[in-house]
Amino acid sequence: MESAETYQVNLEVFQGPLDLLLFLIRKQKIDIHDIPVATITQEYLQYLEQKEKINLDREAEFLLMAALLIYIKSQMLLPREATLEEEEDPRQSLVHRLLDYQKMKAASTLLRKKEAEELLKWKRTFLPPFLETEDLDLIEVSLFDLAEAFFTVMKKKERGDFQVIKRKEYSVEEKTEEILAILRENSYLDFLDFFARQVTLEEALVSFFSLLELIKARRVIAVQEKLFQSIKVWITKDPATGQN
Amino acid sequence: MNNRLKTIIEALIFISQKPLTLEKIKDVLEEFPSKDIDQAIEELLQSFSSNERGIQIIPSAGGYIFATKPEDDRWIRRLLMIERKNKLSLAALETLSTIAYHQPITLSEISALRDTDSSHTLKTLLHKKLIKIVGRKKSPGRPLIYRTSDKFLTYFGLNSLSELPTQEEISKIMEEGEDIKE
Repeated sequence: MESAETYQVNLEVFQGPLDLLLFLIRKQKIDIHDIPVATITQEYLQYLEQKEKINLDREAEFLLMAALLIYIKSQMLLPREATLEEEEDPRQSLVHRLLDYQKMKAASTLLRKKEAEELLKWKRTFLPPFLETEDLDLIEVSLFDLAEAFFTVMKKKERGDFQVIKRKEYSVEEKTEEILAILRENSYLDFLDFFARQVTLEEALVSFFSLLELIKARRVIAVQEKLFQSIKVWITKDPATGQN
Repeated sequence: MNNRLKTIIEALIFISQKPLTLEKIKDVLEEFPSKDIDQAIEELLQSFSSNERGIQIIPSAGGYIFATKPEDDRWIRRLLMIERKNKLSLAALETLSTIAYHQPITLSEISALRDTDSSHTLKTLLHKKLIKIVGRKKSPGRPLIYRTSDKFLTYFGLNSLSELPTQEEISKIMEEGEDIKE
């Protein structure tokens, strides 16, 4: 490669194959309408080779682009009988995609500027201002509310074949981890919904104890947006680390 | 009479929590000649543009709305105890600009233009009401069609979609090769 490899950026920083391709084009100061496919393909493949393992979910798209580049390269190598002007350049559709992508990026930059200007103005649409953040008027629920909600769900469940305690062990530790895992995934947990999904009474009881423990340790918080609305459990930020 | 009209319109704009359109004003003030209303609004905007006022009336999403001035932002934030307002994520911003320039548009078209799956971002934007569903495309799978909402215009301080950054402005940024910062 004659082009000086001054720096290589990690593949992870690119949002997609077009992002990487655009980066390579800019780095080499190439005219986007006249991409030297052979050079760019080689550079592009070098990036993919950096990775020892391919994470298929994400990098499949990068591989697809590699295949497209190689295809275009082969198309351009093929001898043509006549180079009619109307004949389509094999790069054309890729160039279109790149230009659209570039436009989208540029438009986003401009919108970002507008957003910054507008965020300094406070409009009537923001009123009432104290509700600006997403957590509206949250009311923290008491132990009694929780217990009541719990018994309501259990009563409903009683009608099913639910009262039989099956032989399966549930530990508070496991359930605690399960609840935290749900919270990390979904930001909140709907109380009724969660308990409606418990299979046995034992499981429900263990879950309930786990939840109470979590609330006691202030690791989660149970709130209602308004009185009589469904109870939601939110994870609290760890004051020490700022992590969930 | 004109002064009276001015104060009425001012009151109407004040009480509206979203941009109040000219049509709506004229609907409400049906007894008044349309020409007088136009003139009253003109004068009203002028009287608010002076430096003596802490609030202004700005055109937004095809209507008028009260807004504070940028230079007072820090004092307002101190009052409301808000450190800073949240900006949109880069993904949200890119998805919005894709929709804004290509609407009406489907999810798969957005994902193709952004070169990445955008379904999650789309849900967030719908939730924030910055975009809306306007129907289904008559193509296989009947995918949903999306458009930007009036709230989108207000959010970015635009009066209409025609005020979006023009192709020339975009080309200029493209030449600069300026990359967006998170």
